Order: sequence, then C-alpha cells, then structure tokens
Amino acid sequence: MKTILSIALGVIAAIGGFVDIGDLVFNAQAGASVGTPALWAVPIGVLGIMIFAEMSGRIVAVSKKPNFVLVKERYSQRLATFTLAASLVLTVLTLGAELGGLGFVLNYLFDVSVNFFVLVALVAVAAAIYFLPFGGLERVFGYMGLGLLVYLAASIKLDPDWGEIGRGFVPESHGAAVYWYFIVGLVAAALMPYEIYFYSSGAVEEGWEERDMKVNRANAFIGFGLGGLISVAILIASAQVLKPAGISPDSVGTVALVAEVPYGETGLILAFIGILFAVGGATIDTAFSAAYNLAQHQGWRWGKRFRLVNEPRFTFSLAGFLLLGFAIAQSGVDPVALTEYAVIFSIPVLPLTYLPILLVGGDRGVMGKHVNGPVTRVLGWGYFGLICLLAVAAPVLFIWTNGGS
Amino acid sequence: MRRRALAGVVLAGVLCLCGCGGAIQPDELSRSIQSLESSAAEGALLAHDVARDRTKATFVRAHARELGETVDHEAEKLNDADAEAGVAATKVRAIDLADRISAALGRIQIAPGSETEGRAAEETLSGLSQRAGQLTEGL
Repeated sequence: MKTILSIALGVIAAIGGFVDIGDLVFNAQAGASVGTPALWAVPIGVLGIMIFAEMSGRIVAVSKKPNFVLVKERYSQRLATFTLAASLVLTVLTLGAELGGLGFVLNYLFDVSVNFFVLVALVAVAAAIYFLPFGGLERVFGYMGLGLLVYLAASIKLDPDWGEIGRGFVPESHGAAVYWYFIVGLVAAALMPYEIYFYSSGAVEEGWEERDMKVNRANAFIGFGLGGLISVAILIASAQVLKPAGISPDSVGTVALVAEVPYGETGLILAFIGILFAVGGATIDTAFSAAYNLAQHQGWRWGKRFRLVNEPRFTFSLAGFLLLGFAIAQSGVDPVALTEYAVIFSIPVLPLTYLPILLVGGDRGVMGKHVNGPVTRVLGWGYFGLICLLAVAAPVLFIWTNGGS
Repeated sequence: MRRRALAGVVLAGVLCLCGCGGAIQPDELSRSIQSLESSAAEGALLAHDVARDRTKATFVRAHARELGETVDHEAEKLNDADAEAGVAATKVRAIDLADRISAALGRIQIAPGSETEGRAAEETLSGLSQRAGQLTEGL
C-alpha cells in the first residue's frame, strides 16, 4: 500500500510529460483524424519511457547521479553544452506553452482575459513551488491531474466498438503520411526529454536508496502506465465524438467538449480540473527540469529538498525560467501549436538524452548487481534504435504533412 | 558563391513552406473550407449543449469567441488570396459561408444561457457545416 501511495513522482512526470497542453490536443487530433487505428503507438511510447525511467531511477538509487550529471560525465564538454542548450530551448518553449494553456483553461472557467489568467497561473505556480515541499507538489498536481480519468469513463460511456479498439492496438501498414505523422508524434510525446530529467532529479530530491528499487519500479510502471491510459482514453473518446462530426481539434476547449458530450456540465468541470492540474504539473516539470539541468551542468548545489533561499543560483534560475515562460505565454503565441512543435523538434535531441542512461545502466562498474539485465538491455537498445529512427522521420513528416493537416 | 547558393536554397525552401506567391490552389482552398466545416460542426456541438442547458456559460462564451476568431481569420485569408477562374466562385462562396458561421457562433456567444438561441444556432451551424462539406467535394 505504501508503495502504491508513493507513485506520485511517476504520475506527475507522466501526466506532465505526455498529457500536457499540447499532447491533450495532439491525442484528440489523432483520434479525430486517424481514429482508433493510431492506438498502438501509445503503448509503444509508454513502454519506452517506462524502461528508461526505471533505468534512470535505478541509476539514482545506486549512484545518486541524475541524468544531466551523466550527460556531463559521458559527453565531451562541447556536446554536453549543446545538449544543455537544446534541452533548455525546448523545455522553456514548452514551459511558456503550459503557462499559456493554464491561462486558456482558467479563462474557460471564468471568462475574463487569457493574459490576465496567465499572470494568475504564474503567481499560483510560483507560490506552490515556494511553499509546498517536493512531495506535496508531486501529490497535489499528480493526483489531481488524475481528474483526466473522466476521459476513461467517457470513452466507456460513449460505447465504442470494442473489437475495433482491440484491432487498433495491432500495428498496421499504412500508406498515408498523416497516419505516420500521428504515430511518430504519439510515440515521441511519451518520450519527451524533460520527463526523464524531472524524474531522475526528483528521485534525488526524494533521496532514493538501493532499498527503494520497488518504489522506483512502481513509479515507472504504474505512474507512466496511468498517463498512458489517459492518453488512450482521450484518443478513443475523440474518435467517438469528433471524428464522425468532422471536427479537427485545435484548442484545449475542444478536448474539454469531448467530456461534456457524455456527462454534460459535470464532465466539463471534471475535465477542466484534470486539465488544470495536469498542465500545472507540466509547468512544474518543465520549470524544474530547466533549472535542474542548468545547475547540474554548472555544478551548482540544487534541489527543492534544501531551502530555496539558501541556493540563490538555483532559485534565480528557476524564477528566471518561469519569467521567460511567462513572457512567451504573454506574446500571444498559440500554446497548442507551440508544444506540438516542441514535441516534433525535441525528437532529434532524444538520442542525446537517452544514450547516457543506457551506457551507465549497463556499466557493471557503476551499477554492480543492479546492472541492466538481458531483457532491459535488449529493450533499451531496441528503443534507442527506434528513437534514432524517429529523430530522422519526425521533422520530415512534419514538413511533408504540413503539421498533420 | 557557395554561401549565396545556400542562401538561395534556404530562401526557396522558406517560400515553398510558407506557400507564398501565386494564386490560391484548390488544395489550399479545400483545407481552408475544411477548417470552416470543422468550426461550424464544433459550434453545432456546443450549441446542442446550450439548447439542453448542460454546459457552462463562461465556457460557451469563451470557446464560441475562439471558434469565431478562427473562422474570421480564415475568411480574411480567403479574402486576401488571389484565385484563378476555376476556384474563384468557390472562394466567394466560402467567404460567404464563413460570414454566416461567424454570425451563428456570435448568437451563442452573446446568449450562452438561452436554450432558444442554442437550438437556433445548432440548426444553423449543422446546416452550414454540411454546406462546407459539399463545397470541398466540388473541388
């Protein structure tokens, strides 16, 4: 029971990672455009992130080293700096999009002005970061984000063709570029780099030891599994509601409407609560990931486990990234389009994020008896190959399909 | 010399990606009308819940405004685009359709709590969505 209750890190990393503002809409677009035949891509991506999250948590439990420390140790200084710069640009862009998304959601609930609510969201997130302990942040945003499970109930109530859904989990060959655009995007969304940076640094924050291997596995498999389940549910519900009506979702409002169709106002409110906390969780994931990476690259003392006032460089960088995100959100850029671009253009950076985890996880000198077993090794390198393939395919498909349209 | 050639290639690529230059092509017009069809269909779904009092007024107002802005933006793009004789009439019909969709969305934006307005808007928007679908079929 204690293990089950301690999966908040995995839940917030997963929900913030692949059910964030852009991915909510991307999942709905996949359901509306391709329908249930795209379902198989979700478990492919989710299994990948489970494997790498479990590996990075295990590395922290044994060596106490989060992911960016591994990047710094395993790469040349130039390559480590390039990885840092690329990850910071993509993470801060995503952070801006998440803050913008929070503004939109609050405006749907109170209808004043999106820009005003972006400011409210910034203040609320900053206050939560400052006043709540790390475990409190995980639990509030991770568990409240599970309000998105309303889509699971909705997808059942909408009474889909279960045979068709079963067939959707079997990969099929397809000639349409748009189909492959959504497949690649769904796999990539689960593997966003900031999830793994947040997860491994969060494991350090929680002080994981070798005895916490069970907690790590529960976080990786149950936490990310729940995120995957929500992703699947949104896709199925959207395929039921939006596809037959010919609606192509472009905003988070359309995703909320999907929950309103079967459950009316109650479904709408539950969806908004889930979206608010999931996107809030993603804001926290991205803000911390950017600050963690910079601090780990520079060798600063970092972490919420210490008092923020005692770590001025880490604290200022965290505040600076939040303000940068706020500036991006206030520029009026479409948050959904921004995160979708961030997902597609983060794919070329993915191999640089995941390679050090594989190298250290397979290094018996570091890991001792906790070194990767044969199954993890095969799956890990298999996924690394897939990530390299995606790194080439994603930008090509993005341009070819005009962003899936 | 190589730099100039590279700059030329990049510029050509950017222009291709932006779709700059020349009259609107049937596939671009089709995408534009599909966007109108989607907004009208979504508006009808929203109006359906307004008519049955099973939604939240602030959401209806904000989302109808958002959909209306998308439709208006599409109409502006269509208005600014040159069209060759083969698609010129369809372009004009699409702009007219956009006007009507925007007006119907405006009704639920103004009166998100009115079941009567909801019913009227649902009927109008469903019809306009179907007409947009028929318009793309002709392209």
